[in-house]
Amino acid sequence: MKKKLVSLLLTATMVASLAACGGGDSTADTPAADNSSSETTATEAPAENADASTGDAAAAETPAETGSYQLDTLTVVVNGTLTASVDNGQADFEKQWEEAVSAKLGHPIDLVIQQLDHSGYTDAVGRLFAGGDYPDAMIMSAEMFKQYAPTGLLWDMADAYDNADFQSRMLLPSINENLKDSEGRLYGFASAYGNGCVTYVKKAWLDAVGLDINNIKTYDDYYDMLLKFHNEDPDGNGVNGDTYGVVAAGFMGNEAPYINYLPEFWQDAYPAITQDANGTWIDGFQTDATKAALLRLQQAYKDGAIDPESLTASTKIAREKWFSNDQTGSAGVFTYWAGTWYQTLTDNLVKNEVNEELVQLPPIAEVGKYLNREAPVWVIIDDGDGDNAREQAIFDALIETMMDGDVVQTLWTYGAEDVHWSTKAESFTTNPGTDKEKVYEYEDGVFHLRPSLNDPNSIWKKNYIDPALVVCELTNGYADATELAVAGNKFFTENCVDAPQAPSSETYTNETGTIYDAQLAVITEVVVNGGDVDAAMDNYVATVGSIIDQCLSEMNAAQ
Amino acid sequence: MKKNKQVITSTGVTVREKPLGLRIWNNRGYYLMFLPVLIFVLIMNYWPMLGIRYAFYDYKPVGQPSWVGLAHFTKMFSTAAFWTAFKNTLELSIMKLIITTFTAVIVSIFLNEMGNLFAKKTLQTVIYLPHFMSWAVVASIFSLLLSPSSTGMINGWLKDLGFIAQEQSGIYFLADSKWWRPIFYVINIWKETGWGTIIFLATLSGINPELYEAADIDGATRLQKIRYVTFPALSNTIITVLILNLAKVMNMFESVFVLYNNAVYDVSDVISTYIYRQTFAIALPNYGYSTAVGLFKSLVGGALVVICNWLSKKTRGRGIV
Repeated sequence: MKKKLVSLLLTATMVASLAACGGGDSTADTPAADNSSSETTATEAPAENADASTGDAAAAETPAETGSYQLDTLTVVVNGTLTASVDNGQADFEKQWEEAVSAKLGHPIDLVIQQLDHSGYTDAVGRLFAGGDYPDAMIMSAEMFKQYAPTGLLWDMADAYDNADFQSRMLLPSINENLKDSEGRLYGFASAYGNGCVTYVKKAWLDAVGLDINNIKTYDDYYDMLLKFHNEDPDGNGVNGDTYGVVAAGFMGNEAPYINYLPEFWQDAYPAITQDANGTWIDGFQTDATKAALLRLQQAYKDGAIDPESLTASTKIAREKWFSNDQTGSAGVFTYWAGTWYQTLTDNLVKNEVNEELVQLPPIAEVGKYLNREAPVWVIIDDGDGDNAREQAIFDALIETMMDGDVVQTLWTYGAEDVHWSTKAESFTTNPGTDKEKVYEYEDGVFHLRPSLNDPNSIWKKNYIDPALVVCELTNGYADATELAVAGNKFFTENCVDAPQAPSSETYTNETGTIYDAQLAVITEVVVNGGDVDAAMDNYVATVGSIIDQCLSEMNAAQ
Repeated sequence: MKKNKQVITSTGVTVREKPLGLRIWNNRGYYLMFLPVLIFVLIMNYWPMLGIRYAFYDYKPVGQPSWVGLAHFTKMFSTAAFWTAFKNTLELSIMKLIITTFTAVIVSIFLNEMGNLFAKKTLQTVIYLPHFMSWAVVASIFSLLLSPSSTGMINGWLKDLGFIAQEQSGIYFLADSKWWRPIFYVINIWKETGWGTIIFLATLSGINPELYEAADIDGATRLQKIRYVTFPALSNTIITVLILNLAKVMNMFESVFVLYNNAVYDVSDVISTYIYRQTFAIALPNYGYSTAVGLFKSLVGGALVVICNWLSKKTRGRGIV
């Protein structure tokens, strides 16, 4: 009897636990069926009430599709560009956002942030979707956006955008206008322009090898600088050849605009599917310009001008190698993000007790301009129910408030009040007790950024939106950009052009991985193994030539 | 009237077999205890297998799956990268299996011959430790040691010893097709040999000491005792280990994933890493294709299990499944 009881109990426990495991939303195959991420309440309010919560004009233009909808929870998926991470005051950011947005909407709203690993964001999003977990809104890179836009997953926010309150404060309307497709649909909203990379050079290394940044004007000058950084002991440790000219995260990036970490080598080449001067889609990888760029990289790899670990380095590894305390094995040149990163790189050099002075290299003649990448965007997931009310409510809660010019925009721009920034009188010291010690004193009412929570020796710079790149003006006048960040942004905007548009077609979407693998095989064969560029390119054509032709044919047909 | 089958009980008595329903009822306690396991296996192991059908569909993170028949298999069999991955999987797994098993046998014999118990235990502990390190940590350690830049320790030694000229670049061991596999095997030996010795040491401890005493009386040297006593005693275990592991050769992933890079896909890319890239390294993956490759991998794995079972029956007299 006892045995039977035990077995019965075991069975019941197991069945109960399995039932609990399987108790999730079994209809989560499509976002349309999965509203579980938002605890929402649909109300059948009269049309005049709808205007208050969904935007006057939007409600007026699409009264049949846009009812009143009370969004109680907003789930967003973000990458590392939201710098108020979990260990950096995210809880305070969320709390203040909820208070401010609840007050604006007139009902309580809960913000749930799912922050995924930045370097593996694309695959993490894929895994999320594969599990049927669709957020309400999320950040997408330009390339992801191009792939997802035609799928029907994303909500067309054109009406909501056109009728948004923030239009009156729009500084850079072209950024989002350019995101609209040929039929005027807008599936993503860019809160700032894309930004791009500029080339930073360690001033101390330039001085050590007797060079002046103003004399680096051509590729030959640039290459000569790299060789000197490799061969002439720029770090002064008495050993020649233990440093490199330049370090990068890969010889070619894995997302558009691909060439921005080594623009001086790629020059006029764009090794991806791109449009020529006539607007025809071509494979830029097969051009003579790409072949010439590969030969330049080959020579640099052979000469030690480029750190060989660039082949496998992630951006984090490349960065840390560049500003590491031990400069042996480091490089003098690093092409990285403009603006705020000018300050961040400098801060890291200071932190690691390396001579911190950096100079920005104006684009060499062969490069002409640095590339301003296509902006990352916020997208809203369409639940597919044919009713825009819920999506409009997400737009109102997230994007409309993000660009309110006031409290919420400040949260997205600078973070939480009295956590990341403050207007109260206070003083603090960074790097106390060292020769880098700096005292900051502020009077009451003066906006200022506070020390970073996870690194009290550096000052917080921004949250998600870069104030220098934002598309809508912040009306409260809060600004505390450092001199370097301001100089960095100014330098970039004076020296940039827009990057080519990322391609999109059904075959391209399916075969991106295969094409990228084939491109990397060519780059490795030529640059690392010193192989013949024409033979490697023939192999590329043999491997993916037909796929590329199919992609081009689809893209040109869609023109 | 249907006549019940005769069966022989464990006590050797021949009785008529009772009807199935009656037998289940008589053993209902055991069946009830087995029920949770059955439910668990059905839900966790068999229910997910319904996903196999997506090998015949276009299935992306968005939209409804659409039937494509054998299109994914056609694409897979006509893709050079797939065949490279398939070939690499077999070559890497089998070589790794042979090398690590062989090394574990040698180390086990060496440990068995050690007279100093303290030294033996210490050495065992030291060689077991790498097994408990994650592959990510192991990859980081070896990436630093093998770095081609001026900070790489191995390249530094090679330069100091004159094998590489000072002005020359270091060898990029992990990004050079010639070097990647030898390095991969060395890292596997370092990490897994210690753990692999456990089963062989257990066998060695079970060898009858009288065999060694008899060999001593016959005047056998130490090497002769290893040759004529230890090896024959180990041979059955070696075959068993090889056979059991042969069935798992298609499952290689983590060790390759953390050590490979695009420069060495030709010698390192295995089926699992190929699936990973096709699934997670692109913005809008087609899970249908990944499932087709995965299904193919499983079929090959299944065939290997059957072959191993057959081999096991031949060599040991009993199967593994």
